[in-house]
Amino acid sequence: MIKLTRIDDRLVHGQVAMTWTPALGADCLLVANDKAATDEFLKMTLGLAKPAAAKLLIKTLADAITFLNDPRGQSMKILVLVNSVKDAATLAAGVSEIKSINFGGIRTKEGARSIAKALAVTDDDIAIIRDLLTKGIELEVRQVPTDNRTPIETLI
Amino acid sequence: MLATYLLLTLIAVFGHFEDFLGTTLLSRPLILGPLVGLVLGDVTQGVMIGATLELIFMGNIKVGAAIPPDIITGGVLGTAFAIMSHKGPAIALALAVPISILSEMVISGLFVFRAVFNKKFNQYAEDGDYKGIQRLHILSGLLKPLLMGIIIFVALELGSTAIKSFLDLIPAWVQSGLQVAGNMLPALGFALLMNLMFNKRVAPYFFLGFMLAAYLKLPIIAIGGLGVIIALIVTQDAPKPAATSNDDDFDFDDTPAETIPAEPQHKLSNGTLRKLFLRSLALEANFNFETWQNTGFAFAIIPVLKKLYHTKEAMTAALKRHLQLFNTSPYGSTLIIGITAAMEEQNAQDKDFDEESISSVKLGLMGPLAGVFDSLFWGTFKVIAAGVGTSLAIKGNILGPLLFLIIFNVPHLLLRYNLTFIGYNAGTKFLQNLSKSNVMDKLTSGAAILGLMVVGAMPATLMNIKIPLNIGSSSSAIGVQSILDQIVPAMIPLGLTFLVYYFVKKQVKTTWLLLGLLVLGFAGSIIHLFV
Repeated sequence: MIKLTRIDDRLVHGQVAMTWTPALGADCLLVANDKAATDEFLKMTLGLAKPAAAKLLIKTLADAITFLNDPRGQSMKILVLVNSVKDAATLAAGVSEIKSINFGGIRTKEGARSIAKALAVTDDDIAIIRDLLTKGIELEVRQVPTDNRTPIETLI
Repeated sequence: MLATYLLLTLIAVFGHFEDFLGTTLLSRPLILGPLVGLVLGDVTQGVMIGATLELIFMGNIKVGAAIPPDIITGGVLGTAFAIMSHKGPAIALALAVPISILSEMVISGLFVFRAVFNKKFNQYAEDGDYKGIQRLHILSGLLKPLLMGIIIFVALELGSTAIKSFLDLIPAWVQSGLQVAGNMLPALGFALLMNLMFNKRVAPYFFLGFMLAAYLKLPIIAIGGLGVIIALIVTQDAPKPAATSNDDDFDFDDTPAETIPAEPQHKLSNGTLRKLFLRSLALEANFNFETWQNTGFAFAIIPVLKKLYHTKEAMTAALKRHLQLFNTSPYGSTLIIGITAAMEEQNAQDKDFDEESISSVKLGLMGPLAGVFDSLFWGTFKVIAAGVGTSLAIKGNILGPLLFLIIFNVPHLLLRYNLTFIGYNAGTKFLQNLSKSNVMDKLTSGAAILGLMVVGAMPATLMNIKIPLNIGSSSSAIGVQSILDQIVPAMIPLGLTFLVYYFVKKQVKTTWLLLGLLVLGFAGSIIHLFV
């Protein structure tokens, strides 16, 4: 089952390995990212950061959707990581189990504005966010598990 | 008095200078406490109060954008007021907790504010003015110690009379309540550490550490030594865990890594590389919430850029490249800096070199390596250093703070120094070899075993909670505590630690747990359930 779906543009890093994985009791980190799935170098770096207690899968978005819809995944405690709002929306559209998405970190870029600590979104992102909200998906902002859940609609 | 206040302020300013000093734990209460004691003429009290605060704030660590309470300001002020009013560690704690939470807000505000300098930094980059970048990095870094110094001085100057007369009003029962509560609070620190490391697979090592401490009364330094041996044995004999190439049929197949950059010509001198290491110590000086450690990275790599790029255009391009967002664990930062230096060198030599690849390697490595080095240093070295250090310091032994620094910083600085050279000479090949072998798996599981054994020893060694009740009539009374001690010594500290751990797992906020423990200790003291 999916314990959490998180948007974090650093994918697997300190916060994920040290706070989220133990807090969720996750035994599987699933990185759903088209670039990482085909880039050996990225794969290698993500593998280095893997916490000892969990296994790491790196898949394209399409493969991740297949994987998450596979009933065999029900016995695993999966932490899904994507690096953009767009990818999160694609996953949510393909996997009905995703009812809530955690916003962790998106670094600022051209045309983006900062809406919370370590979180910057573009107008395109906001359009996707509004669309997800109308579909009844919970969107909450938290850096680490012990932060307060801030609903994203209060920030945009 | 003014001179004393100035000296105390200087101690706190020194603490806040940690961002220039490589996050070497110089700012921890265990170090600043004795310094405050020295200024106020009671080093032993300073050492003991420092140890108490260190225990309580043990799980208080900086990961990513999560900023912990500012224990520098809280610790210095709390320790100072406690020593000046002769009230002991309980009062230091009662003051340090709220002050550190308040001043964390000020610091978070500063981290937001610093983003306004980014325009200026980019302008310097545009002009190829690396000196401007260096200057602003240092100036902005100085803001934190200066700002906090002013706040602390004003607090001491205006507040100390009021706080002292307030502390004198505190009745004895409140003080003993605080004492008990203070003895309970380390459970929170231990629970937060367990939360980092504890899982079913390594749980036995926690209890092994506990039993060695509770029954055999081994000192923590011995348990640490045993932990190293056990971790070595276990990781040696472990069958290779097929980590990323699991043969589950719906898992992907592991494909062999391709070789990334070609062999560059190594021309940078050892002196230049040493500069990279030294400058990496100031990586976090201009930490801000928009671009994080970006100017710290630029600051560190500038000696290389100076050597390689002699035209304004080339320098501008390079500076802009390294002002992009960056954030990693300071402890392993030199590996990325070294790799970047090698790639920059290649870029300067080879016109066809893809500049973009420098950024993508940097950004690709920073997150994963932060995970590796933060876990290793916060989860293992810091735990052992604090365990050994506080167990000595809590009895007033000055060796405690010294060992604390040595145990953490000898491996830290050795590794950090050498990683600069490894990164430069071996580049990403080093990482590919690491990922192909199972060294990382061994390292993480060995580190978890070692860290957890020491954490297990902590409730038995570092928490002093007893039940003063007696059973039977006064002449033949048997103490409840002596019965408990015959079954499981330190049962109460252990139970309390697991209770807090349970709530941490339930994602209860740390502040609530802290308040809960305070109330429990207070109430327990009033009804004489705990001493």
